[in-house]
Amino acid sequence: MNQEGPPLEQLTRRLLETPAPFLGEPRIGKQGNVHVPALVADLLAAFGASADIDALKRFEGSDRAKERNPRMLTQILCWLLMDPALRGKITANELIRLLFEETNALAEKVAAKDFVDSDERREELSRMALRSAGLRPAGESKNVSEDRWLAVSSRERTRLAAASRAAEERARAIREALERKAAEESADKWSRE
Amino acid sequence: MIDQPDDAQRFPGLTPAGEQMLRFLREHPHAPLYRNASGHRLLPEELPQVRAFADAVRDAGIDPRADLGQSWLRDYVAVAMRQVPHYRRYGSAPEQFTDLPTICRGDLARDVAAFVPDDMPLERLINFRTTGLTGQPLLIASHPLVAARYLAFHERALRRFGIELTSGPGDVGVMLVGWQQRCFTYASVTPQRGECGLAKINLHEDDWRDVADRGPYIDALKPEVMTGDPLSLAALLAIEFAHRPRAILSTSMTLLPGLRTALEARFDCPVLDVYSLNEAGPIAVYDPALDAHVLLQPQMAIEILDAEGEPVAPGERGEITLTGGFNFCLPLLRYRTGDHAALELRGGEWVLAGLSGRAPVRFRTHSGEWINNIDVTHALKPFALPQYALLQAVDGSLKFDVHGYHGADLGEVGAALQDLFGAGAALTIATHREPCDKLVQYRSELAEAAVGGD
Repeated sequence: MNQEGPPLEQLTRRLLETPAPFLGEPRIGKQGNVHVPALVADLLAAFGASADIDALKRFEGSDRAKERNPRMLTQILCWLLMDPALRGKITANELIRLLFEETNALAEKVAAKDFVDSDERREELSRMALRSAGLRPAGESKNVSEDRWLAVSSRERTRLAAASRAAEERARAIREALERKAAEESADKWSRE
Repeated sequence: MIDQPDDAQRFPGLTPAGEQMLRFLREHPHAPLYRNASGHRLLPEELPQVRAFADAVRDAGIDPRADLGQSWLRDYVAVAMRQVPHYRRYGSAPEQFTDLPTICRGDLARDVAAFVPDDMPLERLINFRTTGLTGQPLLIASHPLVAARYLAFHERALRRFGIELTSGPGDVGVMLVGWQQRCFTYASVTPQRGECGLAKINLHEDDWRDVADRGPYIDALKPEVMTGDPLSLAALLAIEFAHRPRAILSTSMTLLPGLRTALEARFDCPVLDVYSLNEAGPIAVYDPALDAHVLLQPQMAIEILDAEGEPVAPGERGEITLTGGFNFCLPLLRYRTGDHAALELRGGEWVLAGLSGRAPVRFRTHSGEWINNIDVTHALKPFALPQYALLQAVDGSLKFDVHGYHGADLGEVGAALQDLFGAGAALTIATHREPCDKLVQYRSELAEAAVGGD
């Protein structure tokens, strides 16, 4: 945050122009065509870091239902972090944390492609990448940069927390509605399975 | 708290003719001991929707290919991924349909709430319980409109055999027969067919004041259609009565050819083997002319997958995997059924060839009586068993396997089984920590255990 980096628009535009291969299907099991561990290894190499095999293995995934969306976000973030203005400015450990833990958290309730398609999500991901590199957008003071980051990220966190609470409440209501029905009494079908 | 509805909730808009039909079914001098109550729950204003749905299903073309080029399928996937919590986790819709993850019965059993769309009002939600082939208990979210829609697919299946239903006011449309020690039984009416009668009865002796009432009751009701599983239909053969239904529908388990022939010979009517799942309703009906099950649902995509979830080559056998269907409370995206067949075009129609699903099994008690596998399911209902299997060996001894973590007292489970099979029955119980993917729930090595084999 101490150093001024590239203009924010440079990164948000880069996201908007994410090439199709980075939006492809992550390979999990036998499905998908994007080999995410290889993509992460390429990024680490571009940052002058060596790839830890065990760390890379985590990106392979095994549960398509759970890991498709976060790994797709890993792909998108790999593309963003390849921006020349960020190269060499993030440690290997921090890169792995961003690409795995952070994408897992971000993709829990948001479709990965929203970080390409939505203005606000593009800004959030771009500011997150800059902060990890110890940079702030060109033309912004430290305070302004911090305020904007908090605004964009906490607004989203608040929205997600509310959505999460609503989802839990809804699931509880469904389970209760189903359990309330008298055992086996439901409605007529002309045949039973 | 359990809802205990009254007849006003079970039969909204019941007319005097409907009331009379209910009385006729319940109070007939030969009537069985109806042990329960249920109804259609359809609101009068929903009837036009039910009829419009049946009209649409009647002649619709069926193309089950899982190709996003089919606009209904593209829309169905998009809506499901937007509205259904489980599918929303997948992220955005893929370009290729086969890039969608598959789901299985275990996913539904773990948390069915995650499969109910966000915009589904909960006031009219109903449920159907099922145990199924794998032994994992499952609660299916449904709606009175969904239950009523079953008839549209039955009508489509019957039409194939030249049967147009004619039952209306004053007639009994259908009799659902069971043959179980414990069976949910009730009388109802079907409003979309003029409140014709619906009787769900148990042929088991214990459910009748006089066992000799069974034949006369059937003769008095003269149901246009009779439905049941192969075990109950086999029991029907042993009862004397004169009535000939216009058709018999067999569901739930594989109908073996010997039993079909015996039923056709006795009742001189078509016997339809319907492949139907609680999760998806009636899917296909067997047509002897094609030697395959002809698909019934216009908006259901079917894939055949190998053990690793990859589509098999066209015409090869594999696991039947469903997308779509008519239960708007439980949208299915790539649901692996656990049943196997090949998807083929025969005579210009899409069929499931070589379908193998759930074979019915009878078990012999210590005293030599035969009982239905559903009785075992009932006896085990009180217990929290995630997955189990029962095998009767050639010497009559029983082996009961419990898979996965469970909270049940196995001593009590054993006692329930001994109650059912007799105190002298040899029983061993084994537990296995890991769940079993391909569990066959009920098996017997006794030659007489299969029902209706050649």
